[in-house]
Amino acid sequence: MVSTFLSPGTVTKEHDLASLHLRRDQSLPVILSTRADDAEHEGYAEGVVTNTRFGAPWGSQIRASKVDTGSRGRNSQKPKKRKAETLENQENEDGTFTKDAVVASSGFVHVVPPTPENWTTSLPHRTQVVYTPDYSYILHRIRARPGSRLIEAGSGSGSFTHAAARAVFDGYPQEAPTENDESLRQDSESTGKVFSFEYHAERHRKVQDEMAEHGLETIVRATHRDVYQAGFLLEDEISHEKTSPQANAIFLDLPAPWEALPHLTRGTLEGRPSALDPQSAVHICTFSPCIEQVQRTVTALRSYDWLDIEMVEVQHQRIDIRRDYSGLQYEGLRGVNLFAADVDQAVSKLREVERRAKDFHAGKLDRDKTAKGANQSADTNSKLPFDGGKLIHRTEPELKTHTSYLVFAVLPREWTEEDEAAEQAKWSKHVKIASSGPKSQRQLKKEAKQRVKGVNGVKDEPKVTSEEAAVAINDAPAE
Amino acid sequence: MSSIHSHIRPNTFLFLRLPSDILKLLEILPNTIIEVGKLGSFPSNLLLGRPYYHTYEIRAKRDGEAYSRLRIVPPGELNADIVAEDATPSESRGEPATPSVNGQSQAYDVVSEDGTVVVKNNRLTIDDASRQALSQQEIEELKKSSGGNEVIEKILANHAGLDEKTSFSKAKYTLRKTKKYLKRFTVLPMDLGNVIEYVMAKEAPRIMELREETSGLMMAWGNVHAVVEDEVPPTNDGRRVGAGRWLVHDETGGLLVAAMAERMGILYVDVEEEEAQQASEEVKATEAPEAGLLQPTDGALENAPPYGTSAPTSHNDFPLPASTNTITLLHPAVQPNLSLMKYFGYDTNQPNPVHPMHTHLKPLSWLQLLHPDLDATYREPEKVSDAELRTYKSGKRSTHYKKLRRWSRCKAIVDETREGGFDGLVIAANMDPATILPHTIPLIRGGGTVVVYSSTPEPLIRILDLYSKDRRTAYISHLSRGEIPDSEDFPVDPRLLLAPTVQSTRARAWQVLPGRTHPVMTSRGGAEGYVLSARRVMPVEGGVEARGNYGGRGKRKADALVGGVSDAGADAAA
Repeated sequence: MVSTFLSPGTVTKEHDLASLHLRRDQSLPVILSTRADDAEHEGYAEGVVTNTRFGAPWGSQIRASKVDTGSRGRNSQKPKKRKAETLENQENEDGTFTKDAVVASSGFVHVVPPTPENWTTSLPHRTQVVYTPDYSYILHRIRARPGSRLIEAGSGSGSFTHAAARAVFDGYPQEAPTENDESLRQDSESTGKVFSFEYHAERHRKVQDEMAEHGLETIVRATHRDVYQAGFLLEDEISHEKTSPQANAIFLDLPAPWEALPHLTRGTLEGRPSALDPQSAVHICTFSPCIEQVQRTVTALRSYDWLDIEMVEVQHQRIDIRRDYSGLQYEGLRGVNLFAADVDQAVSKLREVERRAKDFHAGKLDRDKTAKGANQSADTNSKLPFDGGKLIHRTEPELKTHTSYLVFAVLPREWTEEDEAAEQAKWSKHVKIASSGPKSQRQLKKEAKQRVKGVNGVKDEPKVTSEEAAVAINDAPAE
Repeated sequence: MSSIHSHIRPNTFLFLRLPSDILKLLEILPNTIIEVGKLGSFPSNLLLGRPYYHTYEIRAKRDGEAYSRLRIVPPGELNADIVAEDATPSESRGEPATPSVNGQSQAYDVVSEDGTVVVKNNRLTIDDASRQALSQQEIEELKKSSGGNEVIEKILANHAGLDEKTSFSKAKYTLRKTKKYLKRFTVLPMDLGNVIEYVMAKEAPRIMELREETSGLMMAWGNVHAVVEDEVPPTNDGRRVGAGRWLVHDETGGLLVAAMAERMGILYVDVEEEEAQQASEEVKATEAPEAGLLQPTDGALENAPPYGTSAPTSHNDFPLPASTNTITLLHPAVQPNLSLMKYFGYDTNQPNPVHPMHTHLKPLSWLQLLHPDLDATYREPEKVSDAELRTYKSGKRSTHYKKLRRWSRCKAIVDETREGGFDGLVIAANMDPATILPHTIPLIRGGGTVVVYSSTPEPLIRILDLYSKDRRTAYISHLSRGEIPDSEDFPVDPRLLLAPTVQSTRARAWQVLPGRTHPVMTSRGGAEGYVLSARRVMPVEGGVEARGNYGGRGKRKADALVGGVSDAGADAAA
């Protein structure tokens, strides 16, 4: 099964997850369907849009349609729910009877493919959510790339899970994930996988269901486990054999990350293999809201030999951009600042007041009143010009000033005496290496010419930059 | 999994982090000597095959050896000082390391006038160079005769005022001397984060001061990810839509392209594939020295699938581009500026045919996009009959075929780009993005993502104003009256972008040490860096009105539906 997150296809199809955009920061995740299966979609608190016709290109604006809510039986308690109709008039695939939707006079919605970003803004909250500014930076820093093997604990609300799945995705594995994971790793070309651990049974179940619903179940392996106690090894459901996830990126969103760190070492623990990828460095990020947690985590990271330990906090702001209508000429309109735009305007206003006071004392009040009234009514009829006023920007009023502290660290590969000896033997003397880089046209021609001429030993002979380079260091006694 | 950064490979670029925290960029070639400033030098072969992220120490030369050896400093040793400090529960300004005198800790040896002991402080510290007993000359000689650790020990031992220092200032002093005299460096791989740090320190304007966190944010909102399908699924009208094709305008010297390529899994050479290719090249070279002259005929070129992932040709100087998981790069000059890509093994002047970017990067100039008929490369080379071709000298013939290959590649890229259907648009430009959007937004598929980076907010403010709600309303009312909106007032169709948002992000670093946790004192100012993100949408024909009892001016279009939704939500919850 493919996921609309990763491969949305060209048009909307039945059973696809789609995101209905209502307004910024408010979108509605729906499974497109011809029937209303409300019981199955409890997770989507906002309800399900039914009777959507399929085949609309993604991104379409869709008009609302009139709904005969009275005859819909059990759905009648949702009188505001609307059917949506697509632009194209297509037959229902399964031929079931659906009433022709009648286009309503107003109302519309945009249907867009889901992304981890709009999922994050619309997901059902279970725990604190890791928002886009944080997870985008974390995934960058822990080097989550296509093919990475990423451990996430705990799964929480699943926003990071979705983003991580997108980051490590490098193909849908051929076999079902219930098979022994180790064999899967050997056989299929794709290695990218997210191992998500959650100790709260209900949250784990929800994440697992979501992954299946979103077509990500082959990329995300959700496990119900308390990682402080049981660590990160994967357990085969049948044989209970423990295998290593061979992780090279780790994200810990736990109350006490330091209690999970003993399970993330290079060495074998009580005969069990290490959960880390022995062939590469491992990057870790912990996500803690309190400074005390950070201090304990950093202390633990140091004692478990993690390096390049760094703590940062991400400060994110959205910019509010609008036109500011300041000035007395907008008097009577809504959404304006009734301040004089400049000194001239202030002075002319003052002069006007002065003149009126003079007129009042002179007894010319009546004429003035009518003039003012006419002036005002003309103003209220006109709209604010879209290119008038002053273009301004400022930080949006709601500001998240603190989400969590992010601690980053890296654990290099283990390097033993034997490894060093092997590499020393390989690299000790002058080495011939065919340049992996491309050769210039001139160089290629020269080499071809020499080959034709039968000149020996020219091909791939690297230039000796200095005789000393070939020091026979491996001859010296090792310590 | 043999990852590209599992160990140090020959002929790759990498970074050395020097004790001064400065990154040094170098290409590691086998059989050469690497000079690291005043740290000294060592043979590159001592580093090849070794792991990244470790700290290496240049050891003192032994008798009879021409060069110093390296030692991997165990992580435990690097963290030792802080861990030892941590081990004592007291995080006060005490001095756990010094032995206590008469059972009383030396930490309390400063007694105030009324007889109470106070915590040691810097009241009595004397800042004077004369407190160091060793002269500069003596230190220089010491450096020659012994290793870094011994030098530091001697310097510390000869500092008269060391005992007067508080533990914190002593730690600072030790750290400073360590940085000065220890011959250590850390080897870091060539990846995006390190490149950004390196260029930012040296010449930030070259990458438009694009910080790591901003780049991460762009990749997230751009929904940039790997796509595994090999074919673009056809739509009913035969157009190509989606399938992992991104349109890019990059003026960061290739940094943006590299960031996207990393997310799409096409930044690094597949190590195993490269080795296999090298082996096969050797075979080819020995078996068929004239292979370079074998050419596909004209007919073969025409019959070749125009968007196949791998064209069956022995030439790979101008390969036909891949059809999925690609980056289409719009460049304002004749050649794209991807100078940073060379650190990742891809040089546009001398492309490495093994590198995934060779087929997955599709460059085209703005001229080729907007006026392809004016571009010389896009024009079909003159047809030459087979008979005439046979009379050509081999050099002229190969030039002819090269021209043909270049033309067919260019044509494939330009035609595909002009057809559109891209998954997303990512822009980092010094030129006004408001002039880029009218040409590129229509090329994006419905539901596609649009991301624009600017180092300053002004260009993005202007774009948001062009797509503002009031402007859109005015545009729609023009349309519903059957008028063609004025292109001066409406340089872009304001209906095509959904929820454009401008945001900015900054990661603030902290120092975490026992008892000394605080944000770092200084960091980089300069351009803040702003990101605009939006979705491309397909508007319905004619005017659309929002629904709901939100009458009056200033109603928000979406409010109508939101009202409906919150009701439904309440029902579901009930």
